[in-house]
Amino acid sequence: MNALFAADPLFNGDGLWGSIFVVVLLKVVIAFVVLLVSVMLYIWGMRKWIADMQNRTGPANAGPFGILQTLADGIKLFFKEQSIPSSADKPIFRLAPYLSILPAFLMFCVIPVGGKINVLGHETYLQVVDLPIGAMFILGCSGIAVYGVMLAGWSSGSKYPLLGSVRASAQMLSYEAAFGLGILSVLMRAGTMSTREIVNQQSWTNTDGILQNLSNFYVVPAALGFVIFIIAAIAETNHPPFDFVEAEQELVGGFVTEYSGIRFAIFFLAEFMNIITMSAVAVTLFLGGPNGPMFMPARFGQSGWVNGTVVPILWFVGKVLLLTFGTVWLRASVPRLRYDQLMAFGWKWLIELAVLWVLVTAGILVLGDRGWNPAAAGVLSFGIAGAAYGLLYLCMPKSGETVEEFR
Amino acid sequence: MNDYLPLVGMIALVIVFVLASFVASILLGPRNPNSAKQAAYECGIVPESEPAERFPVKFFLVAMSFIVLDVEIVFLYPFAMVMRGLGVFGLVAITIFVLVLLIPFAYLLSVGALAWGPVAQVIREIVPVRRTSVAVLDPALTEGTTGQAA
Repeated sequence: MNALFAADPLFNGDGLWGSIFVVVLLKVVIAFVVLLVSVMLYIWGMRKWIADMQNRTGPANAGPFGILQTLADGIKLFFKEQSIPSSADKPIFRLAPYLSILPAFLMFCVIPVGGKINVLGHETYLQVVDLPIGAMFILGCSGIAVYGVMLAGWSSGSKYPLLGSVRASAQMLSYEAAFGLGILSVLMRAGTMSTREIVNQQSWTNTDGILQNLSNFYVVPAALGFVIFIIAAIAETNHPPFDFVEAEQELVGGFVTEYSGIRFAIFFLAEFMNIITMSAVAVTLFLGGPNGPMFMPARFGQSGWVNGTVVPILWFVGKVLLLTFGTVWLRASVPRLRYDQLMAFGWKWLIELAVLWVLVTAGILVLGDRGWNPAAAGVLSFGIAGAAYGLLYLCMPKSGETVEEFR
Repeated sequence: MNDYLPLVGMIALVIVFVLASFVASILLGPRNPNSAKQAAYECGIVPESEPAERFPVKFFLVAMSFIVLDVEIVFLYPFAMVMRGLGVFGLVAITIFVLVLLIPFAYLLSVGALAWGPVAQVIREIVPVRRTSVAVLDPALTEGTTGQAA
C-alpha cells in the first residue's frame, strides 16, 4: 500500500493537518500562479517571436517590450458583455469553459519541476503531486479536454460551432490513440507510470560523458515514440498546422463562435496552457525533465541549493522553452493542412506506426532480457512489424480506387 | 490516498478562479441584450433552420474505432508495467492481442470507413445501344450505366 500511495515524502509521516496542509496549499497556489503567469508570458512571447519572423514589431506598448500585453487583453475582456445565444443550452454552455481549463491545470500537477526541497520543516518534491499512475493521469486529462470542445460547440445551438466541435472532437479522438501509444513507448522502458520515477531513470551523472548522459534520455532509445508523441500532442492541442478548430475560412470561429467576453478568454487561456503543459509532459517523458549537467559541482557541491534546487529548475524551464519555441516556429512557418489529410495521416500512418513501434520496443526489450543480440532482436522485431504494416498497407484503398461510400 | 489531496485543491482553485472571473465580468461588464445580439451567429443573416441533427456517419465510425483502439491502449498500459516479468510469454500474448485488434482495423481501412478524401468522381460509361427489339421497347435494359472511378 505504501508504495502505491505514498510516493511524496511529504505524506510519509502520519497526519495531514497543520503544517502539512499548509505545504500542500502553498504548492497548489504557487503552481497555479506560475502556470497563469507562464501562459501570459507565452502568449506575449509567441506574438513577439512571430512578429520577428514576419519582420514586424509585435506588441510594444503595454509595459517594457509589450510584456503586459496579454494582461491588458485579459483585463479588457472583463469589461465586455457576456452574451449567450437564445438557442443555447445554457447550463452546458456555462459548464464547457470549466471542462476545457481544468485538464490543462491538472495535467501540470504531475510534472516534476525540480528536485526535493524543504518547506516548513517538511521534505517534499518540487511537483504538486507524485501520482503512482502519473502517465495514465496525463492520458485521462487529455481525454477530458475533448469534452470541453465538444460540449461548447454542441450547446451553442448554432451551426458553425456545432460543425467545428464535431470536427475538432473527431480530430482529437483520432490523435489521442497515437498520443497514448507514444507515451507507452517510454513506459515500457521505464517500467513505471510515476512521472518522478521516469525522470529519475533519465538521470545525469557527472562522471559519464555528455553523449553517454544524453542517451540516458528516452528521446534517444524511443526516438520514434518521441516523434509520434510530438505530432499527436500538437494535434491534441489543436495547434498549427493542425488548428482545424479555428479554421476561420471554413468555420468562422469554430466552437468558440458564440462565446464572448471572459468566457472566450477562458477557452483561449486553456488552449495556450495546453501547449505549455504538453511541452512539459514531453520534457518529462522524453527529455529528462529537470536533469542536466550541474553548474560547477566542484565549487557548489552536488546537492547544495545551487545544484540541488536552482539548476534543475533552470534545466526544466530551458527545455520547456525550447519546445514551446518549436511550436511557435511551426505556427509561423507551416500552413494549415486539409482536414482529409489530417485524418488520413492519423489513421493510415500514425496509429499503425505507433502500435507497431510499441510491439518492436517490447520485442527488443524482452528478447534483450533473454540474452539475445540487440541487433538480431531489432531485426526480427522490425521485420515482423514491417510485414504487418505491409499487410495493412495492402488493405488501404489506393487513390483512384472506388470504395463503398460511408456518408 | 493523501497523494490525491493536492489535486482536489487544484480543482477547487481552478473552479474558484473561473467562477470569480465570471462573476467579476458580470459585475464589470455591460448588460444590454437584444434579440439580434442573442441570435445564433450566421454571417449576419437571420437563421432560417435549426442546426443539423444528422451528421455524416463517418464521424460516428471514427468515434467507434477510437473506442476499440482506446481500450486496447488501456490494456497495453498494465502490460508495459509487467512486461519484463512476463518475458517471452507476455511478448507472444500481446503480439497476438494487438494483431487480432489490427484485423478489424484493416477491414475498416479496406472498406474506406476511414478514408476522408474527396469523393471519387464517377464516370458514366456510355454503352453502345444495340438495335434489338428489347432495346427499342425498353432502353434502360441495355443503355446501362456502369460505375467506374476516375
